[in-house]
Amino acid sequence: MSRRLIGFAGMTHLGVNSAVAAAERGFSVIGFDRDGDQITALQQGKPSSVEPDLPELLAKNRARITFSTVADTLRSCDVVYIAEDVPTDDGGLSDLGPVRSLIDDVSRAMSVDGVLVVLSQVPPGFTRRLPRPPASTFYQVETLIFGRAVERALQPERFIVGCADPRTPLPGALAEFLGAFGCPILTMSYESAELSKISINMCLVASISTANTIAELCERIGADWSDIVPALRLDRRVGPHAYLAPGLGIAGGNLERDLRTFCHLADRHGTDASVVRAWIANSDHRRDWVLGQLHERVIAKTPEPTVAVLGLAYKPDTSSTKNSPALALLAALAPFPVRAYDPVVTPRPEYHPRLVRATSALDACAAADAVAIMTPWAEFRRLAPAAVAARLRGRTVIDPYAVLDAGACRASGLEHVTLGAPLPRGAV
Amino acid sequence: MLTHQLATPENPSRVIVLGGRGFIGRAVRAVLEAAGTPVLAPAGAELDLAADGSDEQLAAMLRDTDAVVVLAALTPDRGRGRAPLFRNLAMAANVCAAVEKVSVAHVVYFSSDAVYPTDLARITEASCAQPADLYGAMHLTREVMLRTSARAPVAILRPTLVYGAGDTHNSYGPNRFRRMARTERRIALFGEGEEQRDHILVDDVAALASQVLRHRSSGTLNLATGLSISYAELAHKVAALFDGPIEVVGTPRQNPITHRHFDVTALRKAFPTFQLTPLDTGLARAHREMLKAE
Repeated sequence: MSRRLIGFAGMTHLGVNSAVAAAERGFSVIGFDRDGDQITALQQGKPSSVEPDLPELLAKNRARITFSTVADTLRSCDVVYIAEDVPTDDGGLSDLGPVRSLIDDVSRAMSVDGVLVVLSQVPPGFTRRLPRPPASTFYQVETLIFGRAVERALQPERFIVGCADPRTPLPGALAEFLGAFGCPILTMSYESAELSKISINMCLVASISTANTIAELCERIGADWSDIVPALRLDRRVGPHAYLAPGLGIAGGNLERDLRTFCHLADRHGTDASVVRAWIANSDHRRDWVLGQLHERVIAKTPEPTVAVLGLAYKPDTSSTKNSPALALLAALAPFPVRAYDPVVTPRPEYHPRLVRATSALDACAAADAVAIMTPWAEFRRLAPAAVAARLRGRTVIDPYAVLDAGACRASGLEHVTLGAPLPRGAV
Repeated sequence: MLTHQLATPENPSRVIVLGGRGFIGRAVRAVLEAAGTPVLAPAGAELDLAADGSDEQLAAMLRDTDAVVVLAALTPDRGRGRAPLFRNLAMAANVCAAVEKVSVAHVVYFSSDAVYPTDLARITEASCAQPADLYGAMHLTREVMLRTSARAPVAILRPTLVYGAGDTHNSYGPNRFRRMARTERRIALFGEGEEQRDHILVDDVAALASQVLRHRSSGTLNLATGLSISYAELAHKVAALFDGPIEVVGTPRQNPITHRHFDVTALRKAFPTFQLTPLDTGLARAHREMLKAE
């Protein structure tokens, strides 16, 4: 099948997953990045980001994808996506310099009738200010999810495309490419599309914050959030796919960026962002939930406690530790010995001054006074509470995401503490 | 949040404790002296901080290696009106003038949780300081005065309700309950004692101040335990420490019920190994010390 040639500039997590999905849909693809090591690794079939099915899909479509460090290879592309990461600082503030620089390079390399689509996370107003012909410049919302990126790239729920003038039909090449995915295509102004991205994430954060807020009260009054969730999912106004799992605040970087961007815009234009600031404060508060439980149950009673930390990534199926609650916990446990294990992330000395790299989850538990399961990796769900109990010196299992069965933990003599469930007695 | 200027703690070469003869001041001095830290705690008679010229007098005492702990204040039991406000501000103005003259190594200011609104039920260091009365406004103003005057790192400590045997203030809480139980064999509550409050032992306050000094910390820290209980529950705990029955009685409620809980994450992060005294242990200790003092 001969189809349009699609380019992806920036072999980031977003770029690689999008490029592989395009190839899987039958398009010839060029993946460009200025980083030679990145390109070499991809040419060898080794993507740097961890995603289920990504290496297999890359291998399957290898013949359709050309990886290159030369921007001029994009000249023959009908459509070029800009998939550069927009780095953020710890406060979620974006640095747009790298994406601007890449757009400049790519624009110079592209043919005059080539279509450029910004896929990177940029703030409202960014695309319209680009020094490019508006008719061939678009913004497209990316909705990849770490750990489910391939699935989301292959089967998007919809495409949201920002245009200079949404009344003008999309260029043929872009329409053909997007049409291959068989999902609705929503066209709108650049600004609406850019704000759509933020809107989606804000709705997610609203759900997460609601779950976290109610779950905390559940812990104190004997209610169980897991009982309440099914009732909410059956409510059409909430829905079966709502984000209702309580967690340790917002992590990963993207949601934080959007909240900061919204506050920045609201401040500039004088609109109310107090609820967004409340979400941020709640996220910071819940990030320290494990630390609080450890202090109340273990540290307040044990002179030099050893803590086992299972999971360092900010969520399962990713190697990303951006704003990871696990790393925040390690920083707050600096004076105490810590044994850490993650299936993908290698514990580094800079995470903690007394860090011991464990070889497995059970090895991490060896002679520890408590274990904190900070990332709900599937591997941890397979741990037998009896085996954990046999390794631990103490009895405390801080399991925010309830990866272990609470009943089995209790049967093994463990004190099992989880988000949204009544807190077991034992806290000071 | 506090920032430690000294990653490896060390005892200050000398600490000037202003207000070192009061309830908390005595405890702070005791902790420092037990650690072998030289302490200078001028009595009110030798240094009246509210008096004109006391800035010069204090400056003459100071060395650039000193840490200065500022506790001196007219407490609410000596009035919450305008006169104590201005007297307290005059004291702070003289301290500020002194530390402007002599650039000391560290300043620790004992503020109060009165800087927070009375109807704020959950408090962190990030909570908006919006005092409801002149006493809270005084502390907040003094915080700003010291922060903007001192060239040294400034730590602001905001203790919640502090209890201990040596308390002379008789404010509503463990100390008054103990005195009521001892003298009247009954403890009278406001309303039914529904309000939840956090109570911290003076020994913990002093030990935390010592930690702040040893780390030469700067920033703001609430001094609280993170565990609030109702006044009714507290009264029963105090009553249980006495031999024989102590009656706990309610009275008609005059004011709406408010609660106060502290999120002490910042304290845990600043001093991860610090172990706060559980309330039951602290109340029992205060009770024993009270009996011993009689």
